[in-house]
Amino acid sequence: MGSARGVMRVAGGLAVAVSLLIPLVGTRDLVTATFFTGLYIVLALNYDILGGFLGYMTLGQGAFFGVAAYVTVLLLNSARLDALGRADMLVAALVAVAATALMAFGFAYPLFRLSGAYFAIATFAMVLLIRHFILNLPDLTGGSYGVYVNPRHYLSLTVAYYLGLGLLLASAWLNHAIAGSRLGLAVAAIRESELAASTIGLDLFRVKRRVLVLSAIPSALAGAVFGLQAGYIDVDAALGVDKTLLPVIMALMGGSGRVAGPVVGGLVVRGIDVTLKNYLHLTVPALAIYGLILLTIGLLMPEGVLNVAVRRRRLAARSV
Amino acid sequence: MLEVRDLSVAYGDLRVLWGVGFTVRPGELVALIGPNGAGKSTTLKAIAGLIGVEDGTVTLDGTSLLGEPPYTRIRRGISLVPEGRGLFPAMSVEENLELGGFAVPPPEGLARALERVYALFPVLGQRRRQLAGALSGGEQQMLAIGMGLVSRPRLLVLDEPSLGLAPLVVDHLYDTIARLRREGLTILLVEQQIFLALELADRAYVIETGRIRHEGSGRALLADPHVQAAYLGGASRPG
Amino acid sequence: MTFQTLLDLVLGGVSLGGIYALVAFTLSLSLATTHVLNVAHGTFMVLGAALATLLFRVTPVSWPVAVLALLAGFALLGLFFEAAFVRPFAAKSPQQILVGSILVTFGFALAVEALLGYYWARLVDPQPSFSLTFPRARVTLLGLAFSGTRLTILVVAAAAITAFHLLLRSTPLGRAVRALSQNYVGAVILGVNPRLVSLTIYLTGIAATAAAGALLALAIPLEPYSGLRLTLVAMTIVVIGGVGSLPGALLGGGLLGMAEVLTAYVLGSVWSPVVSLLVFFSVLVVRPEGLWGRRAA
Repeated sequence: MGSARGVMRVAGGLAVAVSLLIPLVGTRDLVTATFFTGLYIVLALNYDILGGFLGYMTLGQGAFFGVAAYVTVLLLNSARLDALGRADMLVAALVAVAATALMAFGFAYPLFRLSGAYFAIATFAMVLLIRHFILNLPDLTGGSYGVYVNPRHYLSLTVAYYLGLGLLLASAWLNHAIAGSRLGLAVAAIRESELAASTIGLDLFRVKRRVLVLSAIPSALAGAVFGLQAGYIDVDAALGVDKTLLPVIMALMGGSGRVAGPVVGGLVVRGIDVTLKNYLHLTVPALAIYGLILLTIGLLMPEGVLNVAVRRRRLAARSV
Repeated sequence: MLEVRDLSVAYGDLRVLWGVGFTVRPGELVALIGPNGAGKSTTLKAIAGLIGVEDGTVTLDGTSLLGEPPYTRIRRGISLVPEGRGLFPAMSVEENLELGGFAVPPPEGLARALERVYALFPVLGQRRRQLAGALSGGEQQMLAIGMGLVSRPRLLVLDEPSLGLAPLVVDHLYDTIARLRREGLTILLVEQQIFLALELADRAYVIETGRIRHEGSGRALLADPHVQAAYLGGASRPG
Repeated sequence: MTFQTLLDLVLGGVSLGGIYALVAFTLSLSLATTHVLNVAHGTFMVLGAALATLLFRVTPVSWPVAVLALLAGFALLGLFFEAAFVRPFAAKSPQQILVGSILVTFGFALAVEALLGYYWARLVDPQPSFSLTFPRARVTLLGLAFSGTRLTILVVAAAAITAFHLLLRSTPLGRAVRALSQNYVGAVILGVNPRLVSLTIYLTGIAATAAAGALLALAIPLEPYSGLRLTLVAMTIVVIGGVGSLPGALLGGGLLGMAEVLTAYVLGSVWSPVVSLLVFFSVLVVRPEGLWGRRAA
């Protein structure tokens, strides 16, 4: 066990070192691809707080990403923050994160009336609802045409890259910290048995709500960075199905419920993704491929959100 | 009539039955008793075909039941009354009884079969238009047994008929079971309420942690010091 | 608002409600008997609309041939879907069924919708949109002018719902379906073959859902990616009306249909999809026992 952890540490340190060097030596395409991989991994790690730790598979992680991207860009474009000078971008991002966290707080009320597949579908309904609002309010959001970022507020790829990397490390740390905290204990108790968790005096809803808000914050920051780097956003870029679906696939493929799982899964899935799009030039839409991957995962590992370790523990608990 | 031999069943890595064996001969009332979690329900699930069997045989009249899917076993003349009442709460009492003859139309015709059940449990006749979910616990158990009788089975398997019922209701139910036995029906009775079951049974098997520990006539087991110490000491009539 | 406008609105809402009730009922039947939540349900509406558009507008076949081809094709597709994506979950635990089936059916829905949109744009029409036109725009009855399209939708949806009702009430198979959805093990012990029931539900349910999609295409053009939203509409109705309840589906479908039509009239048609989603979340907050709270009992 100890040596496995040692190997993980070395591999993690190596990966961070390589990631730090990429903008200095890599081509622009490589830096862009790695930057997006990093953002997806942030989403996958955030997804796993709910999907892996709490046992609530969500198809709505992309909602926080997209909403924050929109709020940041629209706020900066509205010129309300111009008086702040150079700090306007930071303030815009923070306001966007606050707004997104508030939204997560509010959505906790209907969403946590549900569990299992019903919860997952409802989180997807949240994404659809937000998409409809953005599309239907073109005067505010640009509707289906999207919005351009004022060039004054562009984030250079290099800066965005390092911000993204920082977010990734922070997200990994967040998952690690939650796993070892009192909150993590409550979360694990809920995942194992809601009935048992409620009998030991836990306020289940408050724990779930807190976890949802926590998981929304890094996703929102990632959305803000994405919006400012891209220079242009529309519903498909900011709130596309890929933002919501890929994190799930990444976490499930890499091993849900462990910190390293979403990272490894993210690298694998993005590797496949980039290869398919940039090198093979398949005449099949990417979404179809993600769909088929999801379908295959569902057929092959029907326990889905439950990772192997959890299953073993359950079996052991039952045989006592 | 029913012969179970060397039955072994596992849920995943967890083995719950270890070579269970017993027989039920025509006209007998055989009780399978034991504490909660001993493997009684698992044994019945194996007989009903609701779980896979790792090893062993289950034969009815000399032919194996194991290859058959659960939904054709009733056609072999075996009727199972599941624990917790296998009825349909949003259907009327009569519709429930009609479903008892769904796969095996009763030889005397459905209407007569229903009259036969109503004669056995007059309260069901009075409530034939009511929803099964609105019946009392005792009435639901009567309905469940009634449903099992519609197809005129040769072997009736009762899984914990006394579960969750008041003692007076249980006594009434056991009177009916005794009557069915006197009329020549072969019965396998699975019970946690050991005292009642042993009093009524011709023969009985005690199952503990997935194995048959004792067997003998009902009276002999009642008098057996092991059984008395383990089950009957002090609290002979729990619930 | 003139009387004619009011009449059009009511007929529009009720006919849309009829379609919604039909698809919600088929969704809840499959949920009740197999415990698989079919997220791809709405995708079959989209596929039905697409095939109908192909058959009625692109290829020159007579309408009875087209209707038969549509129903038969989707009955077969339903059988395939059941065998490939529902059947594998039959022996699993409830938790495994819920999570596994959502991955599978969601993945299926995404893949099918992406492929449909992509190849339709390449092979048929660069702007994928599925719609049908009914030859008789207005029908006059008792001195009142009705929309021929809406009247057709209403009559066909009502006929399909009645057929389902009779099938469930009066046939042995229908009785088996109801028994299985109320008590799975109890029904199996009494000789109900769950595989047969599940196949029947998907055969009839998918065919009816595809037909409902074709009906909807008479009123509203459908896009390749509307499937998941339509599944959510059906789910919302199931939430309102209860699993496996036909009166509940009619009530919920009627309410949602009316709400969407009125919203389109007052705020514009882009807002009507938002209504069902808002209703979905509102119901979740309002119903204290949560969704399907009764089922656990």
